[in-house]
Amino acid sequence: MTALPDLAAGGLALGTLSAFALGGGLLRLRRRDARRRAEIAALRTQLDGSVRAFTSEVEHLAARRVPAAARQVTHPHLDVPGPLQPLTAGTPLGRALDDVLVAVQGEVAAQRTRVDAAAQAGMRGATREIQAALYRLQDALRQLQQRYDDPELAQTLFALDHENEQSLRRAQVAAVVCGAWVGLAREESHLVDAVTGGQARLAGYHRVAVHNHLEPGTALVSHAVEPVAIIVAELLDNALRHSAPDTDVVVSLEHVHHGVCVTIDDAGLGMTEDERRRAQRLVAGDDPILLTDLGDPPRMGLAAIGRLTRQFDLRVDVSSASPYGGVRAVLRVDSHLLSHLDPDEKPPAASAPRTTRRPAPARPPAPASAQATAAAPATAPAPAPAPAHGYGAERTESEAAGHQAPAAEDGLPRRRRRTAAAAPRPAPAADRPARRPEEAAAALGALQAGTAAARSAAPHTGGQHDDGTTDGGRTDGGTTDGNGRGAGPTRPAAPAAPAGHEHRTDRSAPHEPTDHEGGAAR
Amino acid sequence: MTGRPAGRPLVPAYLSTGGVARPSRPQLERLSVLTRGDAPVPAGLPAAALALLDVLAGGALALVEAAALLRLPVSAVRVLAADLADRDLVLARAPIPPADRFEPDLLKRVADGLRALKH
Repeated sequence: MTALPDLAAGGLALGTLSAFALGGGLLRLRRRDARRRAEIAALRTQLDGSVRAFTSEVEHLAARRVPAAARQVTHPHLDVPGPLQPLTAGTPLGRALDDVLVAVQGEVAAQRTRVDAAAQAGMRGATREIQAALYRLQDALRQLQQRYDDPELAQTLFALDHENEQSLRRAQVAAVVCGAWVGLAREESHLVDAVTGGQARLAGYHRVAVHNHLEPGTALVSHAVEPVAIIVAELLDNALRHSAPDTDVVVSLEHVHHGVCVTIDDAGLGMTEDERRRAQRLVAGDDPILLTDLGDPPRMGLAAIGRLTRQFDLRVDVSSASPYGGVRAVLRVDSHLLSHLDPDEKPPAASAPRTTRRPAPARPPAPASAQATAAAPATAPAPAPAPAHGYGAERTESEAAGHQAPAAEDGLPRRRRRTAAAAPRPAPAADRPARRPEEAAAALGALQAGTAAARSAAPHTGGQHDDGTTDGGRTDGGTTDGNGRGAGPTRPAAPAAPAGHEHRTDRSAPHEPTDHEGGAAR
Repeated sequence: MTGRPAGRPLVPAYLSTGGVARPSRPQLERLSVLTRGDAPVPAGLPAAALALLDVLAGGALALVEAAALLRLPVSAVRVLAADLADRDLVLARAPIPPADRFEPDLLKRVADGLRALKH
């Protein structure tokens, strides 16, 4: 009997015990569960936070950093902002984001070059057409200038030609910047011609003073002529544009050790340090040129110079200040681009400033009279028969036949020049009347003798005699009436030796033909 | 233009006169004869004017001949010559009238006369 309650009590106790145990376990479970849940919640908020941070970092990348990085390609001085959370820098995320920027920049730069190249190609094609058309216009204008000399028309033609030169310069510079050829093949030319030609392409060419200190005949090889003209024009254009309109721009041409320097000084504002650095970088031509770098409207002058200096091995320096206060630009042409032209054979243009150097053979005034009086012996002291200047025509030593001295250079006959002014020389006029009666007598005597001889010879030979005509020709020459007009027909019949004699007498008395023509003028 | 036909002149003509084409004296013609005057050459003459004086140093020339030698259009040389004439550096004369052509009839008669003289 006792066992039942015990049993029951024991069972109860067991039950309670197990209930406790179960309850404890349950409690523990619940507590762990709560802890886990808290952990999960914490993790979830952390995750939410980092996702939000990541999102905002990417948003920041898209909104700020990528555009800035792309802009930095064109404007290297711009800063690219860092990540939103400074802590991400250096983390894998930070590095990945930076890689995005690098890739964007690389691709943008490549696209930019591609687009620019396409733009340059388009512009090159357009300017080439324009340039060719302007050259045709120039030809037409110059033909008109040659053909018509009415002052009013000529004035208009000059103005049009100048306008055309300016347009041509712009088209050419644009073409050169876009990588085109200069567009014109020139022959070897005097350096001063190239400089003067460049000067003529500008609106303010009146303000340019060129001082030529070069050896006469200093020339450029053919492929350097047009580049030098373009570079000088652009440097002068800068100088003119950045200096007051009442100041001069001074150009001087000088020999230096390695070649020739063209120095261009202006009295303008000068450049700031930044501008100077930029200009120097452009004219050096080391960086590739992009149209988008040149501003709007594009400033092409310096870029064109850069292209040409690199292409033709010229040197331009704009880094120094001018003693006049502005900029000093120096173009150096090295010796391998220089050549020499004989200034007598191929003189520089008439408008090109003459050199300040005096060459060894005497220049203008002396040879003029020397030629007139002592033409034949004058060949000995001057081996290259230095004429007063380069304009060709008077090669006195070799004029074989009357009015048609054989022209050496172009094979065309040249009219022989009436030798120097006759009017101020009274001496020949004085001894002329003294000689005239006896000459007249001699001439008449010769004529009589000739006709008499012919008459007496006529019955024997039955025709005219050659000696008679020769004799007549010589007396004709002796009276110095032979200006080729009347005596022309008889001359070819005369043998060679008398003809030479006749010309020498003609030359030794240079006053006669001029006097004759002067008489005709009055 | 005496240059080779292919060569495009590097220096345009208007530069020689500074863009002026109206001469200071109207009476200069294409065939006016220019001679060098006696006045001394002043300093500061434009290069083209000096070149014209140089050309004339060798003797008298018609204006159009000087233009050909200088490779400039006649209109430009006319301006240069007019300026120089104003400074007495150049003397300009009216053109020499063209010589009368011999009449063939007259020549024939003279020849006939000479032939008649011989017989």
